[in-house]
Amino acid sequence: MGFRLCLPVASTLTLPGEHVLTNRVISGTRLREYPRTMIFGIVLLFLGLQESLGIREAVHYDLYDSFQWLKHSSWLGVIGSTYGSVYATIEAIHLISMAVLGGCIFVTDMHLLGLLLKNASTEQLVRSNLKCIKLTLIIAIATGIFCACGVADKIYEKPVFWVKMFALLTGCCFQFLIKQPLLDNYSANKIDKLTLRLTALSSLLVWFTVAASGRWIGFS
Amino acid sequence: MLNEFLLHLAESLEAQTTSQMLVSSYYVWSWVESAHVLTLILSVGCLFIIDLRILGWMLTDSSATEVAQRLHRPMILAFVVMFLTGALLLYAEPVATVQSLWFRLKILLIFVAGINAWIFNQRLKNYQPSCERAVVAPLSLRIGASLSLGFWCLIIVFGRYIAYDWVDCDNTGNTAILWASGCVYQLQAL
Repeated sequence: MGFRLCLPVASTLTLPGEHVLTNRVISGTRLREYPRTMIFGIVLLFLGLQESLGIREAVHYDLYDSFQWLKHSSWLGVIGSTYGSVYATIEAIHLISMAVLGGCIFVTDMHLLGLLLKNASTEQLVRSNLKCIKLTLIIAIATGIFCACGVADKIYEKPVFWVKMFALLTGCCFQFLIKQPLLDNYSANKIDKLTLRLTALSSLLVWFTVAASGRWIGFS
Repeated sequence: MLNEFLLHLAESLEAQTTSQMLVSSYYVWSWVESAHVLTLILSVGCLFIIDLRILGWMLTDSSATEVAQRLHRPMILAFVVMFLTGALLLYAEPVATVQSLWFRLKILLIFVAGINAWIFNQRLKNYQPSCERAVVAPLSLRIGASLSLGFWCLIIVFGRYIAYDWVDCDNTGNTAILWASGCVYQLQAL
């Protein structure tokens, strides 16, 4: 079973039943074997196009009223902007959830890179970390929404906020559409080592971008 | 007496040119604070993984001692960078930081967490044969892990509170808070 280097995380990543749907959409091509990679690629292409064609900028001004509403009228925004102690505590919970999420991602990816917990079973380690990743991601997003509502009028003006949102979307798509299906459906010792390492490295870079851009929001 | 000494030390640090350059530099300050937060995410993240393993909540298929040993080095490296960047942040604004109630509570908790970590490591060495493959570690280790989780959550919360001025020296008249914060001039004025 060979794996293409040009699509380092793709081979036959289809679940039972998917062949039927994708065969109807794209027939006669090898693309039908990479549905999740295609979805991920389409998401990235969409993000790139809407930035390069200025679509986001065109829509951006229409979002101004929504962000003002989030800050001044939504109960999340009113609580966040009125009660500083509540806002600071929720911010700290956001940071704690990011720390646990970062730890889970770090352990998994460093194991895939062959640097940590080399004697552990990849399947069991990934399965064990997945629950923690899902829970902390939910908490991080929920607390992040609260924090964003409290300062919605300020983050609207900051390009780095949109960078973080795009990085977060990329990270979630990569985690649940590429990395997790790869590790769930194939035994680690049957996957090309370079594929595993590129996957781990990509994951680390994306989540580092999320954390770093989140911190940079406070400075911009 | 301790408050006066700390304030005098902080004022002498704040008078130094390097301190003023650090606080007024946009990019250096931003990079130092970002490094502090990012290494906090890494170090505390690894610590939380170890504690959650001891409590039997994750990585139950791996040995608790192996998890602790393998994550020890990256955790310590990240802690070192975190402490260095924290020291730089203190050096940049020494007077305001030293007179912050939340900073003092944070340092106290870091000290207590360090003692807890030392006791935890001693107990982990003593219990090593029995908790190699146990899903849940002995009670004493679980207590240490729970305390560690609690301490570091509070440290992060108090660290976040430092940026807010609710109980700063100029914003409160409570004598106990003024004393705890080391607000020497405000106490003398009362």
